[in-house]
Amino acid sequence: MSDTTSREVDAAIDNLEPSGEHLKFSSRTPLWVQIVKWGLILLSLVVLGWMAQQIIEAGHWLMVSLVAFIGLCVLAVYATKRAIPAKYLFPGVLLMLLLQIWPLVYTVQISFTNFGDGHISSKEEAIASITANSVREVEGSSRYALNIAVPEGTDVATGDLAYLLTDAEGAYYVGNLDGLEELPADGVEAGPTGRITSAEGWTTLTPQEVNERSDDLADFGVPVFDDAGEQTAGIRQVGLSEAFIGTPTKVYDEAADTITDTVTGTVYVAEDANFVPESGEGAALPQGWREFVGFENYTSAFTNATLREGLTKVFVWNVFFAAFTVFATFILGMAIAILMNDDRLKGKGIYRSLLILPYALPIYVTALVWASMFNPDFGLINNLFGLDINWTGNAWWARASVLITNLWLGFPYWFIVCTGALQAIPSDVKEAAQIDGAGAFTTIRRVIMPLLLVAVGPLMIASFAFNFNNFSLIWLLTEGGPFVGGQSSIGSTDLLISLAYRLALGGATPSFGFASAISVIIFFLVAIVSYFGFRQTAALEDVN
Amino acid sequence: MKRTTGAVAITSAAALLLSACGGDSTEDTTDAGGDAAEESAGSDEGSEEGSEDEAAGDDAASTEAPVRDENAELVIWSDDVRAPILTEWAEQFGEEYGITTQVQVATDVRQQFKDAANVDQGPDIVVGAHDWLGEFVQNGIVEPVQMSSDTQGLFTEESLAATQYDGQIYGVPYATESLGLIRNTALAPDAPATMEELVSTGQELVDAGDADQPMVTVVSSVGDAYHAYPYLSAYGGGIFGTNDDGGWDAQNVIIDSEETIQGAEKMAWLAEENALNVNIDFPTMESLFAEGRTPYMIAGPWTIPNVEGADIEYAIDPIPAFEDGGEPVPFLGVQMFYVASGAQNPTLAQEFVNTYVTTEDMQLALFEAGQRPPALQSALDTVSAEDEDIEAWAAAGEGASPMPNIPAMNAVWQPLGQATADIVGGADPAERLSAAQEEIVSNIGR
Repeated sequence: MSDTTSREVDAAIDNLEPSGEHLKFSSRTPLWVQIVKWGLILLSLVVLGWMAQQIIEAGHWLMVSLVAFIGLCVLAVYATKRAIPAKYLFPGVLLMLLLQIWPLVYTVQISFTNFGDGHISSKEEAIASITANSVREVEGSSRYALNIAVPEGTDVATGDLAYLLTDAEGAYYVGNLDGLEELPADGVEAGPTGRITSAEGWTTLTPQEVNERSDDLADFGVPVFDDAGEQTAGIRQVGLSEAFIGTPTKVYDEAADTITDTVTGTVYVAEDANFVPESGEGAALPQGWREFVGFENYTSAFTNATLREGLTKVFVWNVFFAAFTVFATFILGMAIAILMNDDRLKGKGIYRSLLILPYALPIYVTALVWASMFNPDFGLINNLFGLDINWTGNAWWARASVLITNLWLGFPYWFIVCTGALQAIPSDVKEAAQIDGAGAFTTIRRVIMPLLLVAVGPLMIASFAFNFNNFSLIWLLTEGGPFVGGQSSIGSTDLLISLAYRLALGGATPSFGFASAISVIIFFLVAIVSYFGFRQTAALEDVN
Repeated sequence: MKRTTGAVAITSAAALLLSACGGDSTEDTTDAGGDAAEESAGSDEGSEEGSEDEAAGDDAASTEAPVRDENAELVIWSDDVRAPILTEWAEQFGEEYGITTQVQVATDVRQQFKDAANVDQGPDIVVGAHDWLGEFVQNGIVEPVQMSSDTQGLFTEESLAATQYDGQIYGVPYATESLGLIRNTALAPDAPATMEELVSTGQELVDAGDADQPMVTVVSSVGDAYHAYPYLSAYGGGIFGTNDDGGWDAQNVIIDSEETIQGAEKMAWLAEENALNVNIDFPTMESLFAEGRTPYMIAGPWTIPNVEGADIEYAIDPIPAFEDGGEPVPFLGVQMFYVASGAQNPTLAQEFVNTYVTTEDMQLALFEAGQRPPALQSALDTVSAEDEDIEAWAAAGEGASPMPNIPAMNAVWQPLGQATADIVGGADPAERLSAAQEEIVSNIGR
């Protein structure tokens, strides 16, 4: 570089130095930019406000304050002139927190609870459900025809509710929270079924109005007393036009925290988030509740006999499956990409679209088609090649079938990626290699491959992580099978994720807590593998 | 077997291509345990048949859970086959009571209802199979239906029994379904009197080169307990014993009982005769029968649209007994209307199921949509008089055992299915069933 040019450059740089003139210019933002900016800020605040309203209706107060906080952040970052870097980082960070970190935190949190079938709700809800579901019609009682009314002159939306009842003999009654009273037949009009359609002194409710008072009606019932004045049962509606005399057969005792079955006399005590018989014999009541269980899910994951026996075997297969898939699909995809990249080839477009086809079809379709092709008796593969291979019954052949299918499913991805990466490799590098006397293979091995690997290295790790948890392929193709040795817990083609799925969600009571605990463990396994993988790719980048 | 060309494979592959989008994703998600609730999978398979041709391709859109319409006062979730009929009736109900109603299609009613009910976004009424009941009760998301004893008397005994959990009725049944023997009348003009006769007739056809399989039913390499149950129960065996009030007892697993083993030995015999084959799964079974490559298929009513589509002349009979007196008892699946406990409009929901679903007209309308024997006795009589098939299905379902609706059943499907597949594959019935028993008992206890 000559002196002259370097002086010119210096002058140019001087011109770029911030001067008063410059600052003045930058502060005069065009009006339309201002409008767009404030419009966008306003829009995001409106959206957040709308979300907050929805959440308030649902009653999640923590979430509301979170949304408010995000709103404040938007204002602080974009409405002020400070924090320029944050203006660029904020959307990405926010999305990462919402879409990556939050599910992770949530999963970890669930892994410390017994959340799952039968342990969904709170204890209060479980007790309410148990007692409500235990209401039985009093034996030998007959039904009433029903209409629902409020006293005349009161508002249908707020007035004291009452049942207008007609018993089997045709006598009329009014029932409210205090009990049943006879209703004089004068002024009562009844339909053909005996149902009261109007009564003097009462305003009957339309179905619409009844519906609007669902909450009040949920707690409404007419008590029935025996001769001694003790409440024995209650009259409850069945729909809009019928009522029955019923009584709960399971009663909760708040002081003792027990539930008593009034028919059998069994007392149930609260234990391990379920009501279990005090005697220890018999089944627990079905409705349990959700509670914090500490490390229980983790200890049971590590002490689970099935997991312990199968873990090593499944883990080795899982790593091999993921590694082999990445390796084989990459080699095949790259080989075809290099072929297709040759200038002498005609009709490349057609070949390329055909090759992408396996990638474009949904895995639900292809995996099942492959499954049917691998059928030992009726499948295309054995019949076409005259083979007698037990693809579904033999553990090793089943693994081979999984690898073959995944190779077919996976190579188009690498074909696409490598085609793109190859086109980015300048042709002068290849020419240079040629001039230096490298043959075609040496060029690929020594020149193209290293350049390619820099580009696709991180993708290989992503692909590894994806295949490590390739649940859908295994589930659709083999369901983890074949299961050898007279058991059905550990399949020969099971991955950790399919094994975990079967263990946690396939049992009698699907447990999200246990499933989350296993997910967290798998997360750490994948994280460790990826960490070493990325260190390797970092080394690759030194090639440049 | 070797003679079978790739044609079967190709047709089944093609059928899958058509059906996979709707079908498989549903099956995948419905079967929580991969195997769980064969019944629901079975009926899903059936219901899909009707709609697959159009549904194929828009997988993503159709598997999403419905979102409750805030403006509707009565919301019903059902599968796509019954939804159009239900819409008519719901609208009529709405007009009569002056409210707005909405029927929404859920592709995986069971799971989607469980998920939605957890966050109070569920419907008021859910239409589905009876074996979901235990799970629903356990999660506290359905409420009892206090049917009067008069109304209870209108239903067939088995269908009403199926709606009960712990002695309480939780829904109104409208249809029943069970396995039966579907016979290709061109190949086998007469109904076999016994299983032995069935096998020998089938075998003769195979020897004469007119068929590839003496009989087909679903076995598959991971097994299928739903389709294996009729044999296991033939000598009084089964899965669970009953407790005092007639309900299934999860603590009393009877899979390794002598009676069940006796039934399993018959499975081993059928496997020797190649009547049961681990390489036959649902699509393979359907295509073998549809191509006329086997005279007999033991399957449910959901396979009929496919058989009709293939122009096969068929007849339906109950599964025949064994010569030594063993009578196969299939599972009975009952379709019913549940009322959600989190219903925003419980009164209207109760009114609808109690006064509308219990009418003969509505049961007949639902029959038109689903082609299953109605659960209401009078509707069943009406339909049976007109429709031979339904009469036959009703006969096949007579004496069938309601599929256990307790949650513990989820722990049974896979181990028992695998055990039956292994027995068909040559494992010793007694040993394999006792291993399955152990596995199931430990799964239930967990």
